Formats: sequence, structure tokens, C-alpha cells
Amino acid sequence: MSRGPYKKVSLSQRSEWYWGWFLIAPTMVGLIVLNIIPIFQTLYLSFFKSGDFGRGNIYVGLDNYRKLLNDPQVWHAVGNTLLYALMVVPTGIALAMITAVLLNRNIKGRVLYRTIYFIPVVAVPAAVTMVWRWLYNSHYGLINYLLSRLNFSTVNWTTDPDIALASIALIGIWSTVGYNMVLLLAGLQEIPKTYYEASEIDGAGKIRQFFVITLPLITPTLFFVVVTSMIQALQVFDVIYMMIDVTNPAYERSVSLVYLFYNNSFKYLNKGYGSAIVMLLLVIIMIVTVIQVKAQRKWVYYMKEG
Amino acid sequence: MKKTGMSMILALVLMLSALTACSGNENKSASETPGGQSVSSSEASPSPDNVASGGEAVTLRFALWDSNQAKGLRKMADEFEGANPGIKINMEVTGWSDYWTMLEASATGGSLPDVFWMHSNEIYRYASNGMLLDLTDRINASDKVDLSKFPEGLVKIYNFEGKQYAVPKDFDTIGLWYNKTLFDQANLKYPDESWTWDDLYNAAKVLTKDGVYGFLAALHNQEGYYNFIYQNGGTVITEDKRSGYDDPKTIEALEFYVNFVREGLSPQVFGDAERADLIANGKVAMGLFGSWNLTGFTENEFMAKNFDVAVLPKKVKQASIYNGLGYAIAHNTKHPEEAWKFVEYLGSKEGQERQAELGIAISAYEGAANLWVSSNPTFNIQKFVDMVQYGVIRPYSNTTIIWEDKVNEALKPAFTGDMSVEEAAKNAAKVMNESLAEEK
Repeated sequence: MSRGPYKKVSLSQRSEWYWGWFLIAPTMVGLIVLNIIPIFQTLYLSFFKSGDFGRGNIYVGLDNYRKLLNDPQVWHAVGNTLLYALMVVPTGIALAMITAVLLNRNIKGRVLYRTIYFIPVVAVPAAVTMVWRWLYNSHYGLINYLLSRLNFSTVNWTTDPDIALASIALIGIWSTVGYNMVLLLAGLQEIPKTYYEASEIDGAGKIRQFFVITLPLITPTLFFVVVTSMIQALQVFDVIYMMIDVTNPAYERSVSLVYLFYNNSFKYLNKGYGSAIVMLLLVIIMIVTVIQVKAQRKWVYYMKEG
Repeated sequence: MKKTGMSMILALVLMLSALTACSGNENKSASETPGGQSVSSSEASPSPDNVASGGEAVTLRFALWDSNQAKGLRKMADEFEGANPGIKINMEVTGWSDYWTMLEASATGGSLPDVFWMHSNEIYRYASNGMLLDLTDRINASDKVDLSKFPEGLVKIYNFEGKQYAVPKDFDTIGLWYNKTLFDQANLKYPDESWTWDDLYNAAKVLTKDGVYGFLAALHNQEGYYNFIYQNGGTVITEDKRSGYDDPKTIEALEFYVNFVREGLSPQVFGDAERADLIANGKVAMGLFGSWNLTGFTENEFMAKNFDVAVLPKKVKQASIYNGLGYAIAHNTKHPEEAWKFVEYLGSKEGQERQAELGIAISAYEGAANLWVSSNPTFNIQKFVDMVQYGVIRPYSNTTIIWEDKVNEALKPAFTGDMSVEEAAKNAAKVMNESLAEEK
């Protein structure tokens, strides 16, 4: 009500505010229009039985959520999604860390190796999956061909319920290592060389240097990588979508939440129920992320600035 | 602490930006009625000649799902463009399953292609929601399209509440493709009209050797178990819209079909694309494939050399699943006159005969099928036309797409051997009836 506080703000401070808002506006507008509004629309839709072509939605209250709780397929999908994340994230980050450390040294052809590791990130996921599908093909795929030449029994990589999810996780790891490696490389280069020089004088070996200097100082980057990889893994869709049909016997054991959402929304034309599945995913991701952020105090080490 | 707050925000932002969920596109076009053509026709120029002289070409979007037919249809579209300067046809090919996702999304967003293929599975949803242009008056006024020249069953598929929403394009039946070379080597007689289920089974047994399977019994309805169900006198959907999967005759047919997999006479195949790969690579000696595969099979050297096609074997009667596509026009097209002109050409005697001549598909127009037969000297495709007399229209209801997929999911454990066929079929009946109960 009172105009008091405004008077205290100097003109230059005010113009600074305006500039600040102006500069973040493009991001904010994009975020609100493309992400935040759709989230609320999805939440809204999850209380409806959707009609054809977005018309004639019928309000059903919590029916979709009630159905969700009693749908074994949803819980299979939750299990599959979490299992996938557990297979992909730790292994993927460990591999990214190892390659980053190796490629941070002065070795011959460093740039070439870095490029090779980064190529899967640039490749189109759909095209990559097509190639992997050929490799995995149980009748004339390259992998099974090699296995049979070596007198091993062949494997149904994409149709055996016990194996399909691991086959998919392998692609997930392969395609994310490069990206995480680049992030970690950037982090490694932030670490001042003087620490290594000092520890060398004190007689520390390479291994000890890694655990005492590199690892603690890379934790801020590592934290970022863990959080983003985790979110990405929980949203796995394209590879499973292209690899596993609804008719695939491994479907139950490999369907992810996003794939299930897709099938319910676009295949079975039940967008309301699909929306409820996505809300469940949102809650799961939120819980996982909050836990990670809370836990970071225990292991993330920020260098003192200045 | 400040750092924690910052990273919390960062993490949230990341989460949001990654979670781009589907938004329920509220349709603004509630006021757009299916009969809106009179409004939009005023926008379209009165005659195409004027358009041509004005130099302003109208581009029609034409959507279809079969890339095998796209080449021939492009040729027809080119010819149509030549005869109708001022109209350009822009073809958009999307694979079968993505096609319907695309069409659904564009219908919801109000940007349907001008002309597109329609299927018996989906016609009800699109027609009942007013997504298609009512063609009844245009057909009646046309001197080129005469529905009485098309098989009645096919015309009926695209008729909803007395209004015609699509012009029949073609029909298709399912044939038994067999490897002649392997039959010769095994000294077996080629399949013919007299073949019964027993002949099929015995031949599959003889032909299964050296890494080749005798028969392809894939988890597939139209090019698979549907045919056997009707040959055995069973049904998929009853007259009063109940599931036929608990009918003992249906179960018996499924048991016969699944048995090929159980006895190792057929590989376990679940993916749609994998089936054609298997036959084209010589991994199976016999398989059921629809007439629309013809172009692809002819182009495949191995198949052209070794394979031929016969009518399906019989049990209590002969049967082959029979279906036909239609050409539909979007309710809100900006160019209804031009779109109709194109569809009228495609459904005319001339267009239908051209389609047959080019070997694109079996034209549904009376007499045109013979032209199709002579378009392909490689295979004995007369058999596809022969089967029309006992063809069974592909079972459909208002929500076919939903229960078809759910039935496939339910039958899956029978194919893997995790469940008895009878139990799986009963589950299929259950999910199908649940889905049918939700139909209005």
C-alpha cells in the first residue's frame, strides 16, 4: 500500500532490475509456455476420461489414479524404469569418469579419442536404435552370428524377458558415456595443476592423487552429471519404443513409464489415464531428485571461491 | 546453504525442461461443423482454370502409410497434376502405426492433411466426430464416381449413418506364399485350392529342416490367425458386438495355429517388420501375407525367383480376410473442390484402372482387378482375386484399434508357451469384452 519502499530504490537499481528481468525473459517465457503450462494441463487432464480428438472430456475425479494403483502393468513399469536407471547411471558415470581421466592426460590422438567417444551423443537415437536392432536380431543379427561361429548358443536379445531390459540399458550406457565424459573433462580441467605438483613432491602416486585430489574436486560436476543422468534414465522412451513392440514377449518386463504413458495416450487413446501415469513419473522423479539434492551435502565438495 | 538452494532450483529447472508432457490440446474448433464445406468453398476459387491462369497453385497434402504403394501413386499424382494445372499434390508417407498417431494429433490440432487414406479400424472415430468431409452429395452429383461399381461390403465400411465419408480405393486379401524351390527339393505338390489344414501341417513338417522353418505362424491377426479362425467357422466379433475368442471353434483354430510354434515348425515372431524379413531371407518356407506386399516381394530378387502364391488352405470352409481402404477428405480442408477433384479421379473408372495397371493395389472398381493381375507376371496373383468370393471382411467395431492390440497382448503368452491357448483366448475375450463395453 505505502509507496515507501519504492522511494528508497535508486534509479540505477531499478534499471538494473528491469534489465535483469529483460535478460531472463526469453528463458522464462519458454519455460512457462513449453513446460510449466503443459504440466498443469496434464495434471488437469488426469482427472478426465478423454474423448476423441480432445473433445468431450468427462470429469471422473480420481478414477484414473484409482485405476493406476490397481494396474499391475503400471507397477511393472515403475520397477522396470527404476531398474533401468540403476543399470545405466552408475555404470555409465563410472565409464565416463574413467575415459575422462584417461583422456585428460597428454596422450597421442587425444582429440580423436574424444571425438570417437562423443559420436554416439551426436547420432540420432532412432537411427542408432535401428542399427542396434540389426545387431541384436535373433535370426541373422551380427552378435548372434558371431556367437554361433564361436559355438556359443545364441541369445534372444530383444525378446527374452530376462535379457531385453539389459540389452536396452547397454544402448543407454553406450549413448550417454560421451556426453558425461565431456562434462567431466571440463570439470577436471578446472582443478588447479598446483595441487598435483604439490602432492607429487610429497610423494603421492597416481592412484592416490585420483582419490585424494581428483575425486573430491570433481564432485560438483559429478553431482550435476548424476542428477541429470538419473532424470534422463527415468524418462527412457525412444530406444524401448523402437525395440519392443506391445506384442513382444519381453514387453511386461521392459516397458518404461513413459512408454506406458505413450501407449495409453496414443495407442489406446486414453489421454486421461496416460496423464495420470505421467504425473506418477513426475512424483517419482521429484522424490529421487530431492533425495539427491539433500544427500549432496554429505559428498559434494565445493572449492572455496577467490 | 546458498549453494544447496541454487542447485535445488537448477535441478528443478532441469526436471521441468526434460519433462515435456503431452498437453491436452483443447480443440478450439468446436464450432466447426462437418458440413462446413459451403463456407470454405467460397474461399476456394470457382474453377481450377482460373487458378492456373492466376498462377496461384493449390497444394494438396495427401497422406498415406504404405511406402510400397507410394511410388506408383506418385506417378498417378504426377499425371493428375499434368491434367489439372494449378493443383499440386504433396505426398506424406508415414509408417502404419505412426500414421494413426500422426493423424490423431493433426485432427486434434486442426491440421489434417487434405486427402488421406482411411481404414475400417478407424473410420468410426473419424466419421462420428465430424473429422471427415461428407462426400454423399458430391458422389451423387459426380458422373465419374459410381459406388454401385464397387463391392457393397467395402462401400458400407465407409458409410456412417447414411453418409458416405470415403471413396473405396482398393481391396486386399491374404495369400499363402510358398517357396517353390524348397517344395521341389522335397518332392511336394504345390499348395492349391484343394489344400486343407492337414496338408499345410504335413508340408510344414517336411519343410522344416536345415535352419528353415516350414511355416510362419507369427503373432499377427490379419495376416495370421484371423484367417484360420474364420476357416474353422469361428469368429472374432459376433453380430451383437461380443468377443468371439471364447467360441470353442475360435479356440480350436488358435490351437492349430499356435501349435506350429509349439512343435518348432515356426519361429516365435512377434514384431510386424520381422515377418517380411524372415520370408525374404529364406528362413521360412511358407507364410501368410496380404496382397499389398506384392511390390516389395516382386522387387526382392530372392522372392521373385523362388516364391509363388496360392489360396489359403481350408478347414470347414475356405476363407481369407478381406478389407479395403478408402480415400477421405478432411472436414476443414481449405480446398474442398480441388481435394474432391483428386479423390474423384482416384475413384473414377480411369483412376482405378490406372492404379491396377501400375500394380499399386487391387482396384476395387468392377473389372479393374483383371488389369492388376496382368500387371505382375512374376507371381500367380490371380489367386488374390479368386479369394474375394469367400473373403471375410476384416472384423471391426467402433474401437477396433484398442481391442485388437489388447487381444494381441493377451494371446502373447500362448505363443511363448507360458499359458495354454484356451486360457489365453479366454483372457483375450475378457479384455475385448471390457473394451467393447466402453463403446457408446
